Amino acid sequence: MFAMKNKGRLPLRPTAMIMYGLIAWFVIAFLIYPNLNIYYEIFFSGGKFSFEAIEKLLRSERAMKSLSNSFLLACSLVVTVNIVGIFLVLVVEYFKVKGAKLLRLGYFTTLIYSGVVLVSGYKLIYGETGFMTKVMSAIFPSFDATWFHGYWAVLFVMTFACTSNHVLFLSNAIRKVDYQTVEAARNMGASTFYILWRVVIPVLKPTIYALTILVFLTGLAATSAPLILGGTEFQTITPMILTFSKSVTSRNLAALLALILGIATLILLSIMIRFERKGNFMSVSKVKSDLVKQQIHSKLGNIIVHAIAYFLFLIYVIPVILIVLFSFTDAQSIYSGTLSLSSFSLDNYIRVFSSLSAFKPYLVSICYGAAASVTVVAIALMASRILHKYRNIWSTMLEYALLIPWILPSTLIAIGLIVTFGVPRWIVGNSVLVGSVWMLFLAYVIVHIPFTLRMVKASFFSIDSNLEDAARNLGAKPFYTFRRVLLPIILPSTLAVLALNFNGMLADYDVTVFLYHPLFEPLGIVVKNSTDPQALGDAKALTLVYTVILMIMSGLTLYFVYGRRSKN
Amino acid sequence: MKKKFMLLTLTLVLAMMVAACGNKSGNGGNPAGSNAESEGGQAVKNEKLIVYTNANSDGRGEWLVEKAKAAGFEIEIVGAGGADLTNRLIAEKNNPVADVVYGLNNMLYEKLKKENVLAKYVPAWASDVEEGLNDPDGYYHGLIKQAILLGYNPDSIAADQAPKDWTDLWNNPEFHGKYEAPALLGQITPQLVVAGILTRHIDENGELGISQQGWDEVKKMYDNGVPMVEGEDPYANLASGKTPLVTIVSGTLKSKTEQYGVEAGTVAPEVGVPMIVEHAAIINGTKKQETAERFVEWLGTAEVQGEFVAQFNAMPANMKAVEKANDEVKNLYSALKAQQFDWGFLSDNIEQWVEKIELEIKK
Repeated sequence: MFAMKNKGRLPLRPTAMIMYGLIAWFVIAFLIYPNLNIYYEIFFSGGKFSFEAIEKLLRSERAMKSLSNSFLLACSLVVTVNIVGIFLVLVVEYFKVKGAKLLRLGYFTTLIYSGVVLVSGYKLIYGETGFMTKVMSAIFPSFDATWFHGYWAVLFVMTFACTSNHVLFLSNAIRKVDYQTVEAARNMGASTFYILWRVVIPVLKPTIYALTILVFLTGLAATSAPLILGGTEFQTITPMILTFSKSVTSRNLAALLALILGIATLILLSIMIRFERKGNFMSVSKVKSDLVKQQIHSKLGNIIVHAIAYFLFLIYVIPVILIVLFSFTDAQSIYSGTLSLSSFSLDNYIRVFSSLSAFKPYLVSICYGAAASVTVVAIALMASRILHKYRNIWSTMLEYALLIPWILPSTLIAIGLIVTFGVPRWIVGNSVLVGSVWMLFLAYVIVHIPFTLRMVKASFFSIDSNLEDAARNLGAKPFYTFRRVLLPIILPSTLAVLALNFNGMLADYDVTVFLYHPLFEPLGIVVKNSTDPQALGDAKALTLVYTVILMIMSGLTLYFVYGRRSKN
Repeated sequence: MKKKFMLLTLTLVLAMMVAACGNKSGNGGNPAGSNAESEGGQAVKNEKLIVYTNANSDGRGEWLVEKAKAAGFEIEIVGAGGADLTNRLIAEKNNPVADVVYGLNNMLYEKLKKENVLAKYVPAWASDVEEGLNDPDGYYHGLIKQAILLGYNPDSIAADQAPKDWTDLWNNPEFHGKYEAPALLGQITPQLVVAGILTRHIDENGELGISQQGWDEVKKMYDNGVPMVEGEDPYANLASGKTPLVTIVSGTLKSKTEQYGVEAGTVAPEVGVPMIVEHAAIINGTKKQETAERFVEWLGTAEVQGEFVAQFNAMPANMKAVEKANDEVKNLYSALKAQQFDWGFLSDNIEQWVEKIELEIKK
């Protein structure tokens, strides 16, 4: 409604015109054109559309089962991750819990590693030779050592692995809760639970909606956990999509499956957008009074919360500790799950940093990551500003266009870029982009846009529009308002997104392999080359070594970009 | 001030995006975009070459760059897995970035040939390569031989009890649940294991060129085996005894034995084993044809290959280099026979076979 008001004063200033023009050009040139082009190539390559792909999929029992498993997983995760995630945030930010700072560090561990390595880390504990399994076998001799697989194992690992976004963004959101309202509610005799439900949660809603979509999407796109832990009884669809997207013959199946997942996500998204628009999220603090941590008054409740908090802490931290420890050992120790002093050595680390040229890929990846993540955030900020300001057909189209990368697997996005920009195109000044250093940069930007937009937009929509109106009434120009009033409010979340994107790009392989420039080999390629099971080196140990190095890099990034600021 | 700074930052970011398109228009005459081509390229035909390979890990790439430099070549290596590299080359065919590709196997080269990615060029050393390995059409020529082996853990299975062929794994109930089924079909090695079974049952009238019996065999293979798991090293499962029968690529045998402390026994089936040969070829449309030709001529010589195989424990395709190979490698290969494949047929069909297995056969 407030958005409508702005429409009256619309003599567009030149800077705004340029901004809109650039956004439109970017969206058309890099989101719509290459991605629709690859869909066209795939489905109409023979000049006519065929339904063969659909028939093939419908006939395949395994494909249908995998597809339904993916949806089952996505729906279950929405429930479990939200429960665990909200609990973590309440423990760290809302309730008075002893050692909250330490707990916070533990809960942050999922931010610094992911994918195959994370799942392998959990396997070091619960897998066949894992610590927990050994303990259980010692207590119950008939205990099945291969117990940790199937739906429950996947759900367990993914529930804890996917809370990263909650601890970042929900923490930012909860700090905006108006403490005076909480105080007032308590004075009126409201219980802890009632305050949570009626005062705190409503403020968190825009963020929870955004996070729910991300969790749903992560569940649908789950790859490593089902591949490693699912076994034959719980297979999901994404591994199949990945296999098919690498084969020219089967690309149509991959695209079709990705489209199904994408449409499902978009449907959920439209529902959430509707919720978002209906919602009234005005209980955000206007007068800065910091949230004071709440004591849990019930003694039993307090003990239970503490116990669960520390139990979760252990679940989060042990895999990381084991990965670090095992990175100093060798393949034999890792597969047998035994730690002994004699197998400890620094050899792995020495091998990784043996020559000066070993450092170049780090530099390349850092440069690409930094440039691309800043650009993505800049685009998302501009787009969110537009979406926040205007609500018309163009803004709706813009929003959905920016979400296009969600309906294609990243391999196909990369291939779409090569196929499209392998010949001169007028939309990019009649130049050929293939073979230039820009390809990888563009791909990183494109792939990360939907996530970034979701998160940045969510924080935009939790801004009290009165602030903006007040600034304007005092005579501030739009850009000044944006910079001095709006940006400081959304900055913590924006920086968090920046750091997350950067970390995601550091060791990316799937997109990188198709697009990287011969003179600038990024880290992801180096890691993959030396950790492939076909490699001659101690692939198992090197995987862990690179993981530890990436953990340190990601940790530092989070600290410098996000951590220091979020404290004040 | 601050405002200007912010504006500047934002403009810079945008400028980078704009530059993304502007960059190339500056030197539009160089569509490959390889910054390397700076010498002008008229007087001396020795430009920097962009070399694609899937065989550069474990120091092999660095070794080659060094050796090439000593021989007067400047090369830049783009390394990636075989399947990814092939897809990248096909996608880039309208505007090739690479000048030379080496290391891929016949199946992938056949695919590239069909997509018109390769240039025909027969190097002088082609005649030294073992018969039947080179492309008869003259597009790619052999460097290194790799055998795809069925290995077993001698602690779990005695040598005389070991299977005689892959087919024993599912036809003999003894081995059910003890072997690793090639489930990760996005990778080349598992694809070749499957191809090694299916091509024994070629039937023009059968589905995708394979008789029903062939499909039944493959079905039994997946039904009775333990599927390979992403992120696990098959050799680790062999060593731990979880699946004592796994697929091993011959070139990795020695280092895996050292890492896991178990020396796998290998099976030598009557029909032979899938023998993949790493080849070298020139990319169609390269701007540096002359240099590329000279490089390929150099790369495949008995001297270079001989040094390479001695250093990296490999088996050369060049017969004149065989004497340089290490004894254990020579011994291994003396017991092995190459399974006969029609690589063109394989490359035409493998993707459809994989699709059928993924959709209908795998559990």
